[in-house]
Amino acid sequence: MTDTATPVTTRKDWASDQEVRWCPGCGDYSILAAVQMLLPELGVRREQTVFVSGIGCAARFPYYMNTYGVHSIHGRAPAFATGLAVSRPDLDVWVVTGDGDALSIGGNHLIHALRRNVNITILMFNNQIYGLTKGQFSPTSEVGKVTKSTPFGSLATPFNPVSLALGAEATFVARTHDMDRKHMMETFRRAHAHKGAAFVEIYQNCNVFNDGAFERITGKDVRSSMLIPLVHGQPIRFGADGEKGVVMDSQGHARVVDVDSVGEDALVIHDEAREDPGLAFALSRLANGPYEPTPIGVFRAVAKADFGSGMAGQVDKARREPGVEGLDELLRSGSTWTIG
Amino acid sequence: MTTTSGPGVDLKAETIGLAASLELPLVIVDVQRGGPSTGLPTKTEQADLLLAMYGRHGEAPVPIVAARTPSHCFEATIEAARIALKYRTPVFLLSDGYLANGSEPWRLPEMDSLADISVPFTSEPNHTGPDGTAQFWPYLRDPVTLARPWAVPGTPGLEHRIGGLEKADGSGNVSYDPANHGRMVQLRAAKIASIVSDIAPVEVDADEGAELLVLGWGSTYGAIAAGVRRVRAKGARVAHAHLVHINPFPANLGEVVRAFPRVLVPEVNMGQLSRLVRAEYLVDAWSVNKVEGVPFKAAEIERAITAALGGGDPQEALGLCLEESSLAVSQAAGGANGSLLAGGGASNGNRKGSGASPNAAAPRPDMEEE
Repeated sequence: MTDTATPVTTRKDWASDQEVRWCPGCGDYSILAAVQMLLPELGVRREQTVFVSGIGCAARFPYYMNTYGVHSIHGRAPAFATGLAVSRPDLDVWVVTGDGDALSIGGNHLIHALRRNVNITILMFNNQIYGLTKGQFSPTSEVGKVTKSTPFGSLATPFNPVSLALGAEATFVARTHDMDRKHMMETFRRAHAHKGAAFVEIYQNCNVFNDGAFERITGKDVRSSMLIPLVHGQPIRFGADGEKGVVMDSQGHARVVDVDSVGEDALVIHDEAREDPGLAFALSRLANGPYEPTPIGVFRAVAKADFGSGMAGQVDKARREPGVEGLDELLRSGSTWTIG
Repeated sequence: MTTTSGPGVDLKAETIGLAASLELPLVIVDVQRGGPSTGLPTKTEQADLLLAMYGRHGEAPVPIVAARTPSHCFEATIEAARIALKYRTPVFLLSDGYLANGSEPWRLPEMDSLADISVPFTSEPNHTGPDGTAQFWPYLRDPVTLARPWAVPGTPGLEHRIGGLEKADGSGNVSYDPANHGRMVQLRAAKIASIVSDIAPVEVDADEGAELLVLGWGSTYGAIAAGVRRVRAKGARVAHAHLVHINPFPANLGEVVRAFPRVLVPEVNMGQLSRLVRAEYLVDAWSVNKVEGVPFKAAEIERAITAALGGGDPQEALGLCLEESSLAVSQAAGGANGSLLAGGGASNGNRKGSGASPNAAAPRPDMEEE
């Protein structure tokens, strides 16, 4: 709204005066820190920034940001964010949600915000549990998970959020985790820069109700052999010495191999910009859960017209139609007549 | 603004409650259909009034405006938007299938003649913090309207967070303090109640010496006005008042309903306005109902008024009671009165049961009259 230079800010400027009330040790703290440390680097203004959330632990996020924010209702954050982003293209609109909020009651809003390519940045904290309500199974809880609401084990196949987003035509899909601030900040930076709907899954530890859910892949000692960094234009390799890699087999499935046994030329070159989401989808299916080698980073980033720009174009065109210069003209443009 | 023909209100109840808590403007247009559930999707009914009035969890009062003719929809919509914007509240605008599918000549208004309902957004801090810094408190209220300031994203220095959690009076920060919650509940209620001083009194079209008031709302306007003209043509003296504002009621409504020995409330529902009037003013409003997916006819209103004036039962005069045989179960279950289904309205209990078999529905009269 102003054209003066963006003021220099620090992390402190982006923190509100409200006490952060997540459980001590919650992964949400590190995500909040990553966002508050990133924003001063983005050249954006506090008054132009809006955080929108639904319901859940993650949904308290807006209260802790010294920006505009709304803590709305369960699952509906993408709906509120869509309205705001479309009517106010000058704003930076972030959605903060969780696996329950986004994938259960909010599944519908999420997929439509993604397919419409609304210009919003969605951070989905995935802790595979309902934490705020003290530990019930969520749409990402694994089969067999024993919780208060599944005393004999969950029967439901969990969503793979990255696969879901890709299936919903998302133009930007990424995954990161709460144990690596640098990786989070780089992933959020990319998501924010994307024009259109950006979806980021963040593996987040709920240390009270689902502690260690991602420990087997994000623990410092196992990370190099269990996390597969996706780097655009580079062969997909991982392991302490890059000894592991990913190939596509004859059935179109991604497979983990020893690089020595196939040679580097056989490895998949990651291409996040590929129009066809097939490669990204195959990579999203590489791990059956956070206990097998799991890709992190940007799965897909393709350019496509965003919803708000398209709508603004239609509104502008309609306003230029002859005879609709104002409401008076519009009202009198149809079947009207004059008496006397 | 959002629109529905009824089921959407069920779906949107959570968001309407949020709007009441956020204290932001929202107009919910309910073009009522026959219910319950999918019901009669293309037919008319007035059965969502109490849903509009009470259909939210928690204490969440919402103003209600009802259009009464197809052309009045224009004015009623502006009125609903005016209240929503000025008082920062969700507002229900009730229409129905009859109005939505109706038409009539409409004199186009000049836009310049319409009231300005634009809102000045807040652009400056409104509070000084303990350390002397200028702050913005999103829940500091206007002393007259009790509306809170409205600062939109993009306004420098007024960044703030709002949400569905209870807010501290003034600062708007999350608050679980018992006394604060009690105060906020009362403030939200008082804000909606205060709209009474900002709406027109209900007009009464009354004959000298009339002893019966016909009170309606919404799309029954035409049928009631025509029915009243018919009985007047035969020498009867009656009064007609038609509500546009149902929450809050116009300031003079209590005086109006108490000024007549009898009040007849025809509605295309089971007696929803009559319940509100009885509860608010402790008057014996007499409900007369027809819930068949079609509007009242002038002749039906005429029959009901004639019956009421003659000491008869207006509901029976409509001939819309269930057959006695089909009431058997209800009578067995509902007690000796047996009026459970006959008139549906809250007023039936002390009107029925005097003569023999008050619910013995007469064969339904012909309805050839328009």
